Amino acid sequence: MKYKYVEKRIPRIDARDKVTGKTLYSTDRYPEGMLRARVLRSALPHAKIIKLDVSKARELAGVEAVLTHEDVPGHNGFGIVTPNWPVLCVDRVKYRGDAIALVAAVDEETAEEALSLIEVEYEPLPIIDSPEESLSPDAPLIHEDGNILHTMDIPPKGDVEKGLAESEIVLEQTYKTQFMEHAYIETEGGVGVYNEDDGVVTIWCGSQYAFRDQLQIARSLDWEPEKIRVIGSPTGGAFGGKDEISVQIHLAMLAIYTKKPVRLHWSREESIVAGPKRHAMTASFRIGAGHDGVFRAIDVKVVANGGAYDTISGPVLNLALESSPGPYKYADSRFKGITAYTNNAMGGEFRGFGAPQVVFGVEQELDKLARKLQMDPIELRLLNAVEEGDISAIGHRLNTSAGIKETLVAAAATSLWKDRDEIKHKLSGENRYREYGIGVASEWHAVGMGVGIPDFSNIIIEIGEGGAITLRTGAIEMGQGNLTAYAQMLAEVLECDISAIDVIHGDTTACPDSGSVTASRSILVNGNAIIDGVSILKPILIKIASEKLGIPEDELEYGDGRVFSRNDSGIALTLADIADQAISSSRSLKVTGHAVIAISDKDFGDGLPHNYYTYITQIALVGVDTGTGEVEVIKVISIPEMGRAINIDGVEGQCEGSVVMGQGYTLYENIIVEKGEFKTTSFSTYILPTALDVPEHETIIVEKPEKTGPFGAKGVGEAPTVPIIPAIANAIYDAVGIRLEKLPITPEYVMEKLREG
Amino acid sequence: MNEITVKFTLNGEEVSISAPPYFTLLRLLRERLGLTGAKPGCERGECGACTVLLDGEPVTSCLVLVPQVEGRRVDTIEGLSDGDHLHPLQQAFIDESAVQCGYCIPGMIISAKSLLDNNDSPTRDEIKRAISGNICRCTGYVKIIRAVEVAAERMREDEI
Ligand code: FES
Ligand code: FES
Repeated sequence: MKYKYVEKRIPRIDARDKVTGKTLYSTDRYPEGMLRARVLRSALPHAKIIKLDVSKARELAGVEAVLTHEDVPGHNGFGIVTPNWPVLCVDRVKYRGDAIALVAAVDEETAEEALSLIEVEYEPLPIIDSPEESLSPDAPLIHEDGNILHTMDIPPKGDVEKGLAESEIVLEQTYKTQFMEHAYIETEGGVGVYNEDDGVVTIWCGSQYAFRDQLQIARSLDWEPEKIRVIGSPTGGAFGGKDEISVQIHLAMLAIYTKKPVRLHWSREESIVAGPKRHAMTASFRIGAGHDGVFRAIDVKVVANGGAYDTISGPVLNLALESSPGPYKYADSRFKGITAYTNNAMGGEFRGFGAPQVVFGVEQELDKLARKLQMDPIELRLLNAVEEGDISAIGHRLNTSAGIKETLVAAAATSLWKDRDEIKHKLSGENRYREYGIGVASEWHAVGMGVGIPDFSNIIIEIGEGGAITLRTGAIEMGQGNLTAYAQMLAEVLECDISAIDVIHGDTTACPDSGSVTASRSILVNGNAIIDGVSILKPILIKIASEKLGIPEDELEYGDGRVFSRNDSGIALTLADIADQAISSSRSLKVTGHAVIAISDKDFGDGLPHNYYTYITQIALVGVDTGTGEVEVIKVISIPEMGRAINIDGVEGQCEGSVVMGQGYTLYENIIVEKGEFKTTSFSTYILPTALDVPEHETIIVEKPEKTGPFGAKGVGEAPTVPIIPAIANAIYDAVGIRLEKLPITPEYVMEKLREG
Repeated sequence: MNEITVKFTLNGEEVSISAPPYFTLLRLLRERLGLTGAKPGCERGECGACTVLLDGEPVTSCLVLVPQVEGRRVDTIEGLSDGDHLHPLQQAFIDESAVQCGYCIPGMIISAKSLLDNNDSPTRDEIKRAISGNICRCTGYVKIIRAVEVAAERMREDEI
C-alpha cells in the first residue's frame, strides 16, 4: 500500500509559528490588568504547622489576595489516582514542595514581599529519607493509613524457585536509580481569567490532559466542570511531568477570588522542588538460564520511592514490573513491588514510566549471561525473544504485532555491530587514554493505559465553507508532533490536501475529550478515532452530493477528496461544493469519531497488563577516559518497531530526543535530596546534556503493521528513552570491564569501579 | 515605583520605553513590549531560551538589566524574518524537522544566527559550540545541528 501522507517526512504544521516566535504558550499570555501570583512553599520537609498567620501579608499595599486552606471550597487535594496531594496544606507539611498559601499582587515584587510577610510556625517531625526507612516497623507515619503507597504482586507464572534451582546458570544483582527531573524548558505556569458575566473561569496552562485538569479543578472548587475551561496546549515540553496538576487549581482560586486575570509561572527551582520526578527505585533480579542460553526463570523485586503523595505512583510501579522481564520468554516468573511514602522528592509520571529503572538492570544481566555463555548478546536475545501469539513472561498472550526479533536482526546487520572489533581497535589506536566499547540492549514498552483504565478518544471532524477542514481533539501538543501526525492521517483517509486541515487542540470547550496524551497512546487511539470519524462522514458527503447531483447514492463514490459518479467520473462534487450545499440547507458536516484501545485478556489490576507494545533495540558506542572516568557517547543506533511510522521525521525526532534524555539519565542527571532538602535546584547543579554531548545518531525504522492500529501504527514516544541506558552501561563494560549498579554513571563512580578492578 | 525610560533600537526600530531599573531585558521585552519570542527557562543564564542579540552578540536577556540597553541594538526572533519571507535558519528548522515543543527554538535560532553572521561555513563542532548554551530537552539536538548546516549551505549558495 502506498500512502500520500502517511509514512512520509512531513514538515510539522506548527513549525512556522514556532520558528518565528509567534506560538503563544500558556506562559506567554499577559492580559491587561493581570495580577502576579506566588506560592508559599514549606520551609521544612516534614513538620506540623502550629501557626499560620497571613494578616500582615494581606495588609501590604498592592496585595489582592492571600489564600490558605480555608479558601479551598471543595476537596483539598488532587492526584490522578488518589487525590491526597493537598491544594494548600492544613496542619502538616510532608515535603519541601508543599504549598501553604497563595498570594496575588499587582506585581512580582509585591507578591514576593507578601510571601515573606506570611508567618508560619512549624514543629519539625522526623524526616523519612528513603523507602527502606519508611517501611521499617517503627517508622513514623507519613499518612494515617500507613507508609505503603502501593504494592503489586503479579500472579506468579510457574514455580520460580524450582525454575531457579533447576537452572544451570543463575545471576543475581540489585540495581539502584536516582530521581530524575523532566526539565522541560517551559516550567509549569499559566494564566487564569474569571468572567463574571458567564461565571466561567478559564485556565491556560501547560498540560497533558485538559479534561482531567478540568475535573480536578472542579473537585477542589466544588464547581460544575462546565464552568471551568482549560486550555492546555501547546506546551513547552511535558514528558509526563505535566499530566498532574501544578498551577491549575491555584490559578482558578485566585482568579475567582480577585475577579482579575492572574498569572502564575513557577521558577526553575520551584519546578524542581515541587513538581514530580522519575521515581528513584531499587530493583533486584534473579535470573536463571540453561547452558544453551534458554531463559528459564526470573524473579524481580522493586522498591520505589513515592515521595509524599500518591499522584500516579501505583501504575508507574506496575509498569516497572511489567517491563522488567523484557520481550523474552520465561517459563517461571515472579514480580513483586512496593512503593513507600517518604519526605523527599515527589515520585511521578515520566517518559518511560518505571521502565528505565528496571531495564537498566535486567539488560545488564543479559549482557553478563551472554559473556558467561560466550554467546553474541544479540543471538542470546533472539533465542529468547517473543513473537505475536506467544505467552509473555508475565503470563499474558501477546495479541498484537511484536517485532523484537526484527529489530535484533536489523541490529546485527549494522556495520557498527558487525565491524565492532575493528571500530574499537581503530579508535583505540587514535587515542591511548581511552578505551572503547559497544553495547546493545532491547526493551518492550507498553502502549496505552492498560486493563481497567479508561482508554478512549473522541475527535470531531468538520467541513466548513470552501471545504475548510477542521479537526478538533482534546489532545495536547507538547512537542512530539502529534498534531501533524493527526493531520497526515486525516488527509490520508479523507484523500484531501493536508494544508486544508486546521487542528484545534487541548481546549475543553472547543474540543472533545480525547483522553490524556501519555503512555505513547495518542497516535494509536486518536488515529483510530480519525479513521472512525471519516467512515461516518463519507456516507453523509455522498448523501448530500446525491441530492445536489440528482444521482442515487449507490451510484456515487467517494475518492480523491470528492464525490463522483461511478458511471461518469467527470460528474463530481468537491468537498467545497458539498459543504456549500450543506450550509445552504442549514446542515452541518460535522462528525464525531470515537475509538477505544483494546485490552489484554488478563487483568492483574491497576492497568496491568497492556495489549500493545513498542519493541526496540539500541546500540551504543562509547569511549571511556581511564584517567578521568569520563564517558563519551559517540554513536547510537535506535531500531524501533512501532507498527508503522506515520511521520518518519517524527519517529526520528522521538528517537534522537529520547536517546539524549536517556544519556542524561545514565551519565549526568541526578536530583539529590538529602534529609528532604534539595541539593540540585538549578541547571548549574542538575546537569543536562548539551549539543556538545550528543552522539551521532541513526534511526532504523522497523515496520510490523499492527492490524488494529491506524495504518498499522502503535506508538513510539517513550521506548527509545529506555534501552539506551543499559546499552551505554554494557558498552562501558565492553570498554573497561566494569559493571555499574547505580545511576548516574559519573566519572567518580567509574574511577571508583576502575580502582576496584 | 520609580521607572526609568530607555531608548534603543529594537528589531531595527527606535523604541523608547519605561520600566523599573531592576527589570531584565527579558521582562522588558515580554511584559512591556509584547514580544514573547524570548522565553524564560531559568532566569539565571543557564538555559539560553531567552537569547537575543545585543549589538549583534548573543546574550541571555535574563541577565541584562534595562539600563544596559540604552542606546544599543537589540534583535529578537520576531525581527528575523522579512515579512512572510523567513530567514534561511527559520526555513531550515522547518524543513529539517528541528522543532518539537519549540520553546527553546527562538533562543536556539538566535544563537545560530550569530554564528552564521560571523562564519559562513562552520564545522559541525563550531555549530555545537555555538548552541551549547541553549538547552533543548526535546530534540536531542541532531536535527537542530543539521538545520544550521543546511541554512549555512543555502546562505552560501545565495551569496554566489
Ligand atoms: S532564561 Fe535566560 S538563560 Fe535561562
Ligand atoms: S524543542 Fe522543546 S526544548 Fe527544544
